[in-house]
Amino acid sequence: METIAEYIKKGRPDAWRAELRKSMKAKERTSLERVVMPEQDPNVRNKNIEEVNFGITEEMAVVEAHRCLDCPEPTCTIGCPVGIDIPHFIKKIESKDFLGAAAVIKQTNALPAVCGRVCPQEKQCELQCFYTQKLHKPAIAIGNLERFAADYERNSGKMSVPAIAESNGIKVAVVGSGPSGLAAAGDLAKMGYDVTVFEALHEIGGVLKYGIPEFRLPNDIVDVEIENMRKMGVKFRTDFIVGKTASFEDLREQGYQAFFVGSGAGLPKFMNIPGENFNGIFSSNEYLTRINLMKAAYDDYDTPVLEGKNVAVVGGGNTAMDSVRTSKRLGAKRSMIIYRRSIEEMPARVEEVHHAQAEEIEFMNLHNPVEYYADENGRVNRMRVQKMELGEPDASGRRRPIPIEGSEFDIDVDLVVVAVGVSPNPIVPASLKDLKMTDWGTIVVDKETMQSSIPDIFAGGDIVRGGATVILAMGDGRTAAVGIDQYIQEKVKAN
Amino acid sequence: MADLNTKYLGLDLRNPIIAASSGLTDTVKDIVELDKNGVGAVVLKSIFEEQIHLEADHNIRKMQADGLTYDEYSETMDYIDVHIKEKELSNYINLIHEVKSKVSIPVIASINAVTPLEWTSFAKQIETAGADAIELNIFVMPFGTDKECNENEAVYYKILKKVKEAVTIPVAVKLSPYFSNLGKVLLNLEKEGANGLVLFNRFSAPDIDIENIKTSHAEIFSHTNEMYNVLRWVGIMANKLNADLSATTGVHDGASAIKMLLAGAATVQVSSTLYKNGVGYLSTMLNDMHSWMDKKGFRYIDQFRGKLAHDANDNNNVFERMQFMRYFSEIK
Repeated sequence: METIAEYIKKGRPDAWRAELRKSMKAKERTSLERVVMPEQDPNVRNKNIEEVNFGITEEMAVVEAHRCLDCPEPTCTIGCPVGIDIPHFIKKIESKDFLGAAAVIKQTNALPAVCGRVCPQEKQCELQCFYTQKLHKPAIAIGNLERFAADYERNSGKMSVPAIAESNGIKVAVVGSGPSGLAAAGDLAKMGYDVTVFEALHEIGGVLKYGIPEFRLPNDIVDVEIENMRKMGVKFRTDFIVGKTASFEDLREQGYQAFFVGSGAGLPKFMNIPGENFNGIFSSNEYLTRINLMKAAYDDYDTPVLEGKNVAVVGGGNTAMDSVRTSKRLGAKRSMIIYRRSIEEMPARVEEVHHAQAEEIEFMNLHNPVEYYADENGRVNRMRVQKMELGEPDASGRRRPIPIEGSEFDIDVDLVVVAVGVSPNPIVPASLKDLKMTDWGTIVVDKETMQSSIPDIFAGGDIVRGGATVILAMGDGRTAAVGIDQYIQEKVKAN
Repeated sequence: MADLNTKYLGLDLRNPIIAASSGLTDTVKDIVELDKNGVGAVVLKSIFEEQIHLEADHNIRKMQADGLTYDEYSETMDYIDVHIKEKELSNYINLIHEVKSKVSIPVIASINAVTPLEWTSFAKQIETAGADAIELNIFVMPFGTDKECNENEAVYYKILKKVKEAVTIPVAVKLSPYFSNLGKVLLNLEKEGANGLVLFNRFSAPDIDIENIKTSHAEIFSHTNEMYNVLRWVGIMANKLNADLSATTGVHDGASAIKMLLAGAATVQVSSTLYKNGVGYLSTMLNDMHSWMDKKGFRYIDQFRGKLAHDANDNNNVFERMQFMRYFSEIK
């Protein structure tokens, strides 16, 4: 089978690309400045839920595409978990074949408009870019170009549907409609399988819908990509909890030959400190789900969320950034990040941290909550934080935060969002007693195939990783699709 | 037959031999076994502040090695030490619940603390879970050259004070002998509310492998001759304190247990001897104590406990004799 590297190299000698490379000297290309994505003014956007980034224009995209050297060894592709042929799609943009660019991306990525918005490119493809590695200049804006190609295609009304193999009539079930499930479903549909995605909630998209706010990833964008999957023949069933509504055994009896479990990590974690149960202290899951999925911020919806004037968000990841920026948009006077390490150690995307800073989010780095206090109604009104200092590095290489004794002080808060991580959703594991699990409640899988200890069950995304990015989850879904195909083909041959 | 019933931290014990906090007091099964073999009480394996960090590191390495758990962007990994702590604490609470439902002997929870920051809320949970007492195993590294002695000591008092404020069950403090004025520290701990003092914590010891010229670990189990320093301090302090003393380190048989009681200890704590001889050895120790008491005509422990403790009015100042000078001069 062709490897990703071989597949990517194959197209480089094509005449049109060779011609394009010759059309501009490398020095001219490298002398161009990276195109900056236009965005809403910070003081305007922090009062609305419209998307922060506007996207780049056709002209900007072509200029940025000119910067790409179409390297013989495209290191950028190493950094992409789903193996997008990056130089190929960028050169398509340079030649102004924008629909062609989108088609290239969609060969390996089922959700290009999503990934163009939420992938941490600066730590993946763009980190491996020749500009970053050798020239020490800003990388090609691969993420922005990906988003551009996907948006262009969507706005053109000429959404391409990837080629689908002839139907083999074999039923495969996908549990969960988040990024890993959608990626698996997309690839399995392309292989000709009869794919049904079962979603526990009333909306398709999983974390893309309930977790990531509209100002970063509009739900419409997700819906368009899902609609495209429907066109590929993927079926969706909402309000269906596999393990409760129907068991795996029930689904086997209905003819499903294999399962991909991408049920995510929806169980919030807390810090187990005094007062954490007071009213007004939310998990980030609940806070963001209420707002993103249940429209709690809209007056005409009867699923409200408590509003806060002084909001503290505990944590330093993307979920923390999403929560704190959401609270500002909902009218908080003071929205704070309380994070126990310094800003350099924050796991959030750099862009999200910059956006939050521009939106007047306060960053209380090197602080950690130790206790919460409440008014007579049990509503949180104060939190005690402690100053931290950084000690020796831990196994992740980051310096461990150490409390400074006697440094505690109180802050007035009326809303707290705890964004310190999540646990895998326990429903599927609880319904399968032979499923091998780690101590962390994640499903144990073979890394090559994503097959679990139960042969017809494959898994990926947060239920396996305990917490990952959209693109890594999608990578798992793609790997699992290949694994499921192999498993089914062997089973068919054996019979 | 002599009666070995005794009291420690206000709790009724059927005998003064306690299974010290160790790997033998880590599971319900092992504790039930200790109970069957006649132990007076158990101190559960300590939950360590430091261990939580080590386990967090171990998990990060493991997850990185298997290439599946991606730590860089995950809030869960970012707070993995916090989550490990929560998991460890929850396992510990479950252990207390389960042990209490299976045995009737007193169950003492053990917290290994190095700062006063982390454990006070947990102490409350331990109490709620049904532990009969808490043993605070405190050790502030005495190697730091940047702190005055009293600064280190203040940490002990602060941890104890905070835990005492949080719970109503008795609290004992287990500590090392490394203080510039241990006697005063013990009195101060009593003043801060310690119901018992456990003498002494035993640490892993360094060794050097001269063949390979590298550092190594010395034998992990105690030796019988390590009991004498404990005996000294029990003897010196028994009459100066109202808090109960529990003697541990080097107590390997019935005879050494009796010595500790004669010096004034309320109880002894054992682990190395159980590792070496098996938990069945508890009955040998208890039989030896019975036999000795019968032979000496003691029907109750209180008839001889503290009989040889140091007292300002008697001659048992052997406990305070530290130097060998007179001994050597007498030999001359």
